[in-house]
Amino acid sequence: MRYRQNERSKTSIRVLQFAMIGLTMIILGRLIQLQLIEHEKYGPLSRENSLRQEIVHPARGLIYDRDGNLIVDNEPIYTITVTPASYDEKNTPLLAELMELPVDEVQKRIREARDYSWYRSSRIFTEVDFETFSIIEENIWRLPGIGHQIESKRNYPVEEMQASHIFGYLREVSEKEYEQSGYYHLGDKIGKSGLEMVYEDYLRGDLGAQYIRINALGQSLGSFQNGEFDESPQKGSDLYTTLDTDLQLLAEDLMEGKRGAVVALDPEDGSVLCLVSSPQYDIRRLSGKIDSDYWQSINTDTLKPLFNRAISSRQPPGSTFKPLMALTALDLGVITPETEIYNPGYFYKGRRYHDLADPGHYKVKKAIIESSNTFFFWLMDKIALEEGLNSWHRHIRQFGLGRINNIDLPFETSGILPDSSYLDNVFGKRQWGIGDIINLGVGQGLISVSPLQMAMVAAEIGNNGYRIRPHLVSAIRDPDGTMNLLTPGREKISWVDQNELSIVREGMRGVVTDGSGRFYADLDSIEVAGKTGTAQNPHGQDHGWFISFAPFDNPRIAVAVLVENGGFGSISAAPIASLIIERYLTGEINRSYVYNYVKTFEPRPVEEDSLQQEEVLE
Amino acid sequence: MNGVRSYSWSLIFFWAGLVVVGLVAIYSATQGPVSEFLPSYIQVNFLKQLVAVGLAVLILIGIQFVSPRTFQDVSYLFYIFSLLLMILTLFIGKEVSGSKSWLVLGPVNFQVSELMKVATILAVANYLTSRRNISAENLRSALTAVMLIAVPAALVILQNDMGTALVFLALIPVMLFWSGLPYGISLFIISPAIIGYLSIIDWYWGLIAATLLTLVIFFIQRRGWLTFASFACGILIVIGVQVALFQVLQPHQRARIAAFTNPSFDPQGAGWNVIQAKTAIGSGGLYGKGFMEGTQTQLRFLPEQWTDFVYCVIGEEFGFIGAGLVVFLFMGMIMKLLNIAGSHKHPFAQMFIVGVTTIIFIQFFINVGSATGLLPVIGLPLPFVSYGGSAMLTTTLMLAICLNMDFYKREFSIYR
Repeated sequence: MRYRQNERSKTSIRVLQFAMIGLTMIILGRLIQLQLIEHEKYGPLSRENSLRQEIVHPARGLIYDRDGNLIVDNEPIYTITVTPASYDEKNTPLLAELMELPVDEVQKRIREARDYSWYRSSRIFTEVDFETFSIIEENIWRLPGIGHQIESKRNYPVEEMQASHIFGYLREVSEKEYEQSGYYHLGDKIGKSGLEMVYEDYLRGDLGAQYIRINALGQSLGSFQNGEFDESPQKGSDLYTTLDTDLQLLAEDLMEGKRGAVVALDPEDGSVLCLVSSPQYDIRRLSGKIDSDYWQSINTDTLKPLFNRAISSRQPPGSTFKPLMALTALDLGVITPETEIYNPGYFYKGRRYHDLADPGHYKVKKAIIESSNTFFFWLMDKIALEEGLNSWHRHIRQFGLGRINNIDLPFETSGILPDSSYLDNVFGKRQWGIGDIINLGVGQGLISVSPLQMAMVAAEIGNNGYRIRPHLVSAIRDPDGTMNLLTPGREKISWVDQNELSIVREGMRGVVTDGSGRFYADLDSIEVAGKTGTAQNPHGQDHGWFISFAPFDNPRIAVAVLVENGGFGSISAAPIASLIIERYLTGEINRSYVYNYVKTFEPRPVEEDSLQQEEVLE
Repeated sequence: MNGVRSYSWSLIFFWAGLVVVGLVAIYSATQGPVSEFLPSYIQVNFLKQLVAVGLAVLILIGIQFVSPRTFQDVSYLFYIFSLLLMILTLFIGKEVSGSKSWLVLGPVNFQVSELMKVATILAVANYLTSRRNISAENLRSALTAVMLIAVPAALVILQNDMGTALVFLALIPVMLFWSGLPYGISLFIISPAIIGYLSIIDWYWGLIAATLLTLVIFFIQRRGWLTFASFACGILIVIGVQVALFQVLQPHQRARIAAFTNPSFDPQGAGWNVIQAKTAIGSGGLYGKGFMEGTQTQLRFLPEQWTDFVYCVIGEEFGFIGAGLVVFLFMGMIMKLLNIAGSHKHPFAQMFIVGVTTIIFIQFFINVGSATGLLPVIGLPLPFVSYGGSAMLTTTLMLAICLNMDFYKREFSIYR
């Protein structure tokens, strides 16, 4: 028995030794695997763990108006963060009290942060006002685990001004943009419309990088190797725009409650003095934290406040097209200034075309002043028969219609300026006839233009036939202070003859003194020239147009106004344009009755489906 | 009196080696650059450990003057005394990081469950060696022995200290095995642990293990009922683990288990500790990053780096050399202890030494297994190395008793 027990305990020792050595070999094997074989994998992992690259965002470039006043800058937004691992739940009531929020709400956010990560900091309150932020900072020593971030958002110092379609808004980069650019990081904001979008590359500046050592609690341990590898951010370039803040404010005020657009240009060089598309969206509500309810509402609004009518809307120009039509006909030699036709009150070609102008004898100048449709139907007919549609197209196109004019805003439309191939596409090859093009002569039918294009036409007639490139930015100031002037040159439109042009200009002056513009557009102090227009709208009341330039001899401003469903341009668009001209050239508005009239002007309600066809984004 | 030469100096050497490695690691983990992020009550841990080591030396020496028979004589009394302290702890104990296992004695906190380990081994050894050998037919004394271990284990569970409970439970198969439980049944007792572990990794691993273990048990024991029970049990465990994983456990509990099998599943949450621990050890490489140079340690990426994850500090700062040295010291100590047990004539001393070896080995295996991601993270200190006065004193006490029994092995036999 004793012997057997000895045997047994000897075997048992062997078994235990065998088992323990076996298990230890597994441990040893694991060590060899981790420390020798997989060392290549864990080495970098531990370095990344402790070294973090923090992106330092540069200040986005500022935007100034034509007088050098700041109109877009940045403002800090304060965010409170929590690192759940070092946060003590007991402090929640204190935090809630400081934030002036219910305890439940604070608790909920902390819990959400904790669910996301125990060790990393999460934002719990974004866009905290400065006062609350200061209170939290004062008490931060009582709140371990609570931290802050300071980011920036766009700020618009001119309080009343929106200019939302000029500046545009910023949104977080989409995943696609993030992957393509190689510059952005997820969560970065990028210009999605307006100047913010077009000049994104200038405004954003260059990202800086800071290498800091952190611990598992996310606490910063200061810079890595005294910041030897850090790159400081490069501030974005500033934009100097041609915008006239006072004029923009007036135009926004005048367009309030109306649908349409105002574009005012300097005829000398194509500078945009003001540009309004109405309705606008509230640019301040799209800055910083996204107000998702508001974003939803402007996206679903049937009036489409995000749509930039000033450069993207396509409408038939109506009678505002007549001056350019006359100039083209004179150059093509189809008529002379003295050519006279009789208007019986209508034009007949296959069918009767109505004319609101009085019957009588018309020369070209009178036809512009009285806006005789008969004259221009006849003219279009004659051009189409004698010169062909395509030479008409080539002439008109030179003024900027039917093409992109490269304004520095996104989503510009080319409009439609029909030529034979266009009509072939629409109707089928040679399936169209004179009946399809005759109403082009009065700016109706297949032709469509944007308010910007009509402003260019007014400017180019006003400046004696120089083609301009409309633009908003006149200079970009680099972070080091160098100014880069961006003044696009202007070129003579080769076919324009000064004598013929002066006939047309006089016609436009006559519109304001004796024609449809005399009620609201005729100013005592300034010689204004212009042309009203009323674009037929199959969906509702006609759209009102007015294009003008002033002063007549040496124009300093050209304005195009479109009031959707405003009816006659003479009563809807012309008063707006004249107020803008008056304000720009005299610095004040003397005709308060016109101002009051515009403010109380009620465009007709729009039919639901009418908006859809008109507003096609390019 | 035997000569000093016959004293097991090698055990003292292994003990001292582990204690020194532990002090170096705790120093780095609490006094290094990381101290900036540690509250002051943790920074003093190094000094407290130094005091504990000093006391441990006193125990190591003092115990050598005790007659070996005393341990056997007082074993039951000591067991009951410790059990009472355990119950007392349940009511007036202090809770530290979730476990209510600390008794406040003036300025000192003492972890009673550590003392309970010594008391339990002594009592079980005394009980089992005073009985006839356990056989498959006579399992009554075996069940009593199991009760002697299960009661303190249950109290430890009530104190919410699962890791220590696991150490107690691991004692059961080894103690029974040593006192003569047939090999097949012993294997049968530990087979659930093996099958369960493999089932968590994947159900078919569990199934393969169940089949293989059943075959082995059949060849050792050749008993139909045992073979059948083994296989049925194995299958039930495989199914049970799957049901537990996907039906019973809450998602976050499952995540903890999933984190052990696949830590990258949730790197910020459940898998964080495992990933950081593996990264620390893996990035150490062959030579390590150097004393107080480990980024994982010094930048506070390791949780509990002075106790449960102290092995990561060693692995990171001293590399495979350091980590391997610790394994070598433990292996040396354990093999020496088993040798002592094997050469001892007295069954009580034999069983006590085997019990102590088991406790040291299990804690070593679970601690290092957790740190290297082989096992789920179970909070257990590394014997002699981790910070912790109670553990240091009681584990040293166990070793001191083993040394004492070895030194007086002739006298021991004569007294009997």
